[in-house]
Amino acid sequence: MLDFIRDPSLYNFVRGPLVWIAFLVFIGGSIYRIREMVLLAKKEKVVVPYMSLRFSLRSILHWIIPFASVNWRIRWVVTTVTFPFHIGLVFLPIFLLAHNVLIYESWGISWWTVSEGFADIMTIIVIASCVFFFLRRLFAPEVRFVTFADDYLILAIAFLPFITGFLAYHQWLLPHKTMVILHMIFGSMMLISIPFTRLIHMGYLFLTRAYMGSDQGYRHSRDW
Amino acid sequence: MAEASVKESVKTEDWVRLNRKPVADPGFDETVKNLTTEKIEKAVNAVLNVGKNAARFMAPLETCIHCALCSKACHWYLSHNEDPTYAPVAKVKMTLWELIKRKGKVSPEFMKQVARIVFCECNLCRRCSMYCPFGLDIAYQLGMVRRICFILGLVPQNILDQTHSLSATLTQLWITQGDWIDTMQWQEEEVRGDIKNVRIPIDKEGADVMWCPLGTEPKVATYHIARTATIMNVAGIDWTVASQDGWDSANMGMFIRDMETMQRVVRGIYNNAMRLKIKRIVLTE
Repeated sequence: MLDFIRDPSLYNFVRGPLVWIAFLVFIGGSIYRIREMVLLAKKEKVVVPYMSLRFSLRSILHWIIPFASVNWRIRWVVTTVTFPFHIGLVFLPIFLLAHNVLIYESWGISWWTVSEGFADIMTIIVIASCVFFFLRRLFAPEVRFVTFADDYLILAIAFLPFITGFLAYHQWLLPHKTMVILHMIFGSMMLISIPFTRLIHMGYLFLTRAYMGSDQGYRHSRDW
Repeated sequence: MAEASVKESVKTEDWVRLNRKPVADPGFDETVKNLTTEKIEKAVNAVLNVGKNAARFMAPLETCIHCALCSKACHWYLSHNEDPTYAPVAKVKMTLWELIKRKGKVSPEFMKQVARIVFCECNLCRRCSMYCPFGLDIAYQLGMVRRICFILGLVPQNILDQTHSLSATLTQLWITQGDWIDTMQWQEEEVRGDIKNVRIPIDKEGADVMWCPLGTEPKVATYHIARTATIMNVAGIDWTVASQDGWDSANMGMFIRDMETMQRVVRGIYNNAMRLKIKRIVLTE
């Protein structure tokens, strides 16, 4: 059934053009979306005049450090899950040995990598976190009430590259090459979907935090 | 054709019908009788203007990841035994997201529930923004829904009446200028029982402080004026009150997002401040 996947032309496609497309869409699309939002904010009378670098950074800093804000402490379970999850999601692909090897083969450059054992543990953490978020969507009443189908889709988009990468590394379930191709497809899918879904919170996070931080700072208040 | 399609989409409503104790308010119960789906659609599209909207509205809409971490900020949620329908994000879901999804094609009955949620189950206190990991302005979004309700007239009768008073007289409770000045002089006499020859200076140019009370104070709580006068005099503050329209700081228009009246109230206060060349405006809270 999956024989077509082993076709070398497919491998060459996902290894080459697809990755280029994915990165171009991801970077171009994200820059476009963020630029649009900044331009939109400039049209508002009360956003830009109240922006303050100090208050913005203060707010962002308190929310990207675990347990540095009141809500991170109240929701300590979510905090302990969400921080390793997001760190793994963003930084693990960049510093993964296998990814670096591919880049080295193509361009002859590479950078600092994490050990394979550590990467394996981080992958398991990301996968387990996805399961945690899935269960939370199912069973926490306040989350369940505001869950839509696209919330599960977003979760799946984050989950699939990691589970396929994990299985490919351990060479379980499917032949290694098939799994690698699936992994590349899902990885590209994740990158492509960032500008088009609410995964854009990766970029908007800094804008909305800066706004709220400035807004509260201006009132001699704080938002953490 | 168009009407038929509107009715078609209303028939298939599947919104969450809340099972709550009814709120008996003529502002809701009477107004809703005059509403039609077309009227609602027009109001929703006028306010939301979906697609062309500004950043404060679009950013939360496109960033919210539906994590419900805002819920523990809400006193409504906490005081109702953590009922998920009282969580801030749930209120946005039941009102704004629903209106956007249906492009405003909703039934009057649905709109009545929306009005109930945004007026009677949310205080727009913005505490949820302090609990949101993204710092999203949730109250602003519910305020937009309040504006839709205001344009439709679906507003608690009491607040609507006070806003009407503000838009007609720039005071919250239909107070005339004569009444206002008279009340000040009456309270001046009252305070003279405590402090000899005390003054409530009206229209004193170049004072440090202009005090702007709420309309409730001269109307039903005059002793507040006496107490403020006592404090100001004992503290030795160079203060005054304005005689002309724009002394009332009760901005009910802000609560129902009647932006037009809201800005007139603020402008009135600033006009008085400019006229009297005062340094500081002090409001009753």
